[in-house]
Amino acid sequence: MLHRLPYRIQIPLGLSLAVLVAAVLVTAVASRTAASAARQETLATLDRAVILLIAQTRPLLAADDTWRVFALLRDTVALIPGAGTDNARVAVLDAQGNVFAASDPARLDTGKPLLGTPLHGQALPQATQVNERRSLDQPDGAVILLDPVRSEDGQTLGFIFLEVDAPVFAPDWEALAQPAMIGMALAVMFLVPIGWWVGQRMTRPVARLAQVIERIGHTDATRLRNEVPQTEDPELSRIGNAVLQLMGELQERQKAEARALSAERLAAVGRMTAAVAHEINNPLAGLLTATQTLRLHGESDSIRERTVDLLDRGLQQIRTTVAALLPQARAEDRPLEPSDLDDVVTLVKTTAIGQGVRLSTQIEIESALRVSSVALRQVMLNLLLNAAKAAGEHGQVEALLKADGERVQFCVTNSGETLTAARFAEILAAESGRDPHGFGLWVCQQLANHYGGGFELDATVLQGTRLLLWVPNRGRQKELG
Amino acid sequence: MDRRSALRVLAVPGFAGLSDLGRATGDRLRLGLTAVILADQVAFLSRWARYLSEQAQCEVSFVARESYQTILELLSAGDLDAAWICGYPYVRYQADLELLAVPLYQGNPLYQSYLIGSKAAQVHGWGDLRGKVLAYSDPLSNSGWLVAQAQLAQAGLQARDLKRAFFAHGHRNVAEAVAARLAQAGAIDGYVWETMRLQGMAAVARTEVVWKSAPFGFPPLVVRRGTMGPPAVRLQKALLAMAYDTGGSELLKALNLTGFIAGAPSLFESIRQQARMVPGSGMVA
Repeated sequence: MLHRLPYRIQIPLGLSLAVLVAAVLVTAVASRTAASAARQETLATLDRAVILLIAQTRPLLAADDTWRVFALLRDTVALIPGAGTDNARVAVLDAQGNVFAASDPARLDTGKPLLGTPLHGQALPQATQVNERRSLDQPDGAVILLDPVRSEDGQTLGFIFLEVDAPVFAPDWEALAQPAMIGMALAVMFLVPIGWWVGQRMTRPVARLAQVIERIGHTDATRLRNEVPQTEDPELSRIGNAVLQLMGELQERQKAEARALSAERLAAVGRMTAAVAHEINNPLAGLLTATQTLRLHGESDSIRERTVDLLDRGLQQIRTTVAALLPQARAEDRPLEPSDLDDVVTLVKTTAIGQGVRLSTQIEIESALRVSSVALRQVMLNLLLNAAKAAGEHGQVEALLKADGERVQFCVTNSGETLTAARFAEILAAESGRDPHGFGLWVCQQLANHYGGGFELDATVLQGTRLLLWVPNRGRQKELG
Repeated sequence: MDRRSALRVLAVPGFAGLSDLGRATGDRLRLGLTAVILADQVAFLSRWARYLSEQAQCEVSFVARESYQTILELLSAGDLDAAWICGYPYVRYQADLELLAVPLYQGNPLYQSYLIGSKAAQVHGWGDLRGKVLAYSDPLSNSGWLVAQAQLAQAGLQARDLKRAFFAHGHRNVAEAVAARLAQAGAIDGYVWETMRLQGMAAVARTEVVWKSAPFGFPPLVVRRGTMGPPAVRLQKALLAMAYDTGGSELLKALNLTGFIAGAPSLFESIRQQARMVPGSGMVA
C-alpha cells in the first residue's frame, strides 16, 4: 500500500513509521532490560537482607531466644521482595538445620528438620555442607538462599534460610508497560512530527523537480531552467543536472522538428503547385486546339460559336479548379450535364488523336444529374487523359457516363497494360508527390472521397484496365448553390 | 535467655541486698510494671499515673520492662519504689518484699493459669504436648512457667519430651506465638488472655484455652521490705480507693480489674506449695 502513495508522502510516512518502530523496539528492549535488571535488583535485595539477618540473629541464636528471632523475622520479612504476596519466607535454622523460628511458622514449623531433607522435590544440602552462602536456583525460577550464621570464633550457630518463589522474579509487565507506553507516546508526539517534517524537507526538492519535469514541453524552457532546484545534495544535484540536460536536448529536438515541419510544408506547397499545374495543363491542349480550330474555321458561325463555347467552358474549368484552391475566389458551380462529357472528350481528343487512340463514349442517364459539373468534368478529364496515355498507340478507350437515382458513375476502360490492384493502391497512396504521372488518379480519389463516393479498379477485367468512379447523385447543396 | 541463666542473675549479691536499699524519694514514686498486665498502652498508663499522682499527692510514674527479672533488678537497685510482679517471685523473695496491694479480678484477688493451643494443633491437655513446641511467658512467671512445670511433671512429661520450648517474654507474646503457630501451645496468665479477648485482639481469636488451673493469688504490687514510707502508704490508699470513685473505676475497667485490696501473704500459699514441688524453682520443698 505504501508504494502506491506519492514519493513526497512515502518518505515522511516512512520516516514516521521508522520512528514508531524504533520507539516500539527501544521500548521492548528497555522493558526486557528492566525485567532482567529487576531480577538482579531482587537478588541484591535478598543478599542485603541475609546479611542483615545474620548480624541480627547471631546474638539471639547464641541466647537461644526463639521468640526474639521470630519477632525479628516477623518485623523484617516485609523488606524481602514477595513477602507481602506470600511468595517469600525466611527462617532461621539451628546448627542442626532444624527450623529455629520462621517468618511464617504455619509453613515452616518450629523444630522442623530442613537441611538434608527434600524440599520441592530437591534435596537441600546437609548442615555440614553449608559452609558458605549457597544459592539454590529452582527449575521454575525460584531461589533458595542458605547462609551460615557463625559466632565470632567461627562456630556455626545456625543458618539463614530464605526462599523466594518464581513469581517474584517474573517481570511485572504491567508496571513496566506504563513508563514504556509513556515513553512511546512521547516519542510519537515529538519524534513522529519531526520525522514527518524532515521527510517533507527531504522530498521538497524532489517534488519541485517532478513539477518541473511535468511542465517540460508546456512551459518555456528558459523559465523552467530557473526553477530547477539548486541543492548541494549529490544525488539530487545529479538528477537536477540530468533534467537540465534533458531540457536542452528536448529544445534541440523541437528546433529540428520545426525545421523538418517547415521543409515538409514547402514540399506540400510544391506538390500542390504541381497538382494545380497538372489540372490546369489538362484542358490546355484541347483549348489550344480550339483556338487553332477557331483560327482556321472561324468564319463558320456555328463552328466559331461552338469553339468559343468550348473555350469558355474550358477556361471556366480552369477557373473553377483554381477557385477550389482559393476559397475566397470560389466560382459558381452547376449540375453536370450530359454535354459536359462531350466537352471533355473534345478536350481530350487532341491527345487521343496524337497517339492514335480510338475514343468512344456512351451515356446512360436514367435520372436527373445533381452532381457538381466542375468535379465531374475534372474527374472525366483526368480519367480520359490517363486512359488515352495508358492505352498506348492505336489503343482504345471507352467511356461510360451512367446515372440513376442513387449515383452517378463514370467508367473508363483502356486497352493498354493491365493495372494491377497493388499498383493502383500504390499510385493512390503515393500522394502523387513522387509520381507526377499519378496526380490525375490521386485527384480523382480525393474528389470521390470528398463527395462521399468511391474510386475503384475493376479487377474482373483481365485485358486492359477499367477504372470506376462514382459519387452519390445528390450533389452538395452548398456547393451547388 | 533461659530460665537457668535468669535465676543466676537473680542470685547475684545485688539482689540479696534488696532490703538494704532505701533510695526511693519521698515525693516521687516509680512503679515497675511487668507482663502481668498489658503494659504497653502508653496513653492508659499516662492517665493512670496522673490519677495516682493526684490521689497519692506525689508524682507517680510507671516503668515498664519486658521481663520480671529486669523489674526485680531495678527494684532491688532502688531504681523503683514499687513493682507489679507475679506471685511466684513474691513467694520466692518474700523475705525482701512487702505487699503494697493485690488486684481484684472479677471481685476476687485470684486468677488462673491457662494452657492455650493453636486451633490447628490438636492440643487438648498437658499430655498432648509430647513432641510439640511449648511457649512460656517468663522464667519468673507463675502462670507462664511454674504451673506448666508442675503440670508437665504431673502428666509425666519431661523437658526433653517436648519438641522445643522457649520463653516469649510476656503473656501477650505467648498468645501471639501460639496464634502464629510458632508454638503449638503456650502457658499464659488467664487474666491477660481474658483481657486480650475482651479487647478483641486477633491473636486470641486464633487460639483456644485447653486447660485452666486452680485459682492462685493474683500478681501483687510490692515494695521492698522496710520502704513502706508515707508516699508508699498514700499510693496504697489511692490504689485501694480506686474502686470508689469514677476516675478510678474507669481505670480499673480498662485494666479489666474490679479493685485493689491490701492482701495477705497467705493468698500466695498455693504458689509457694507448687514451687516447692517444681525442681529448679528456687524453692526448697
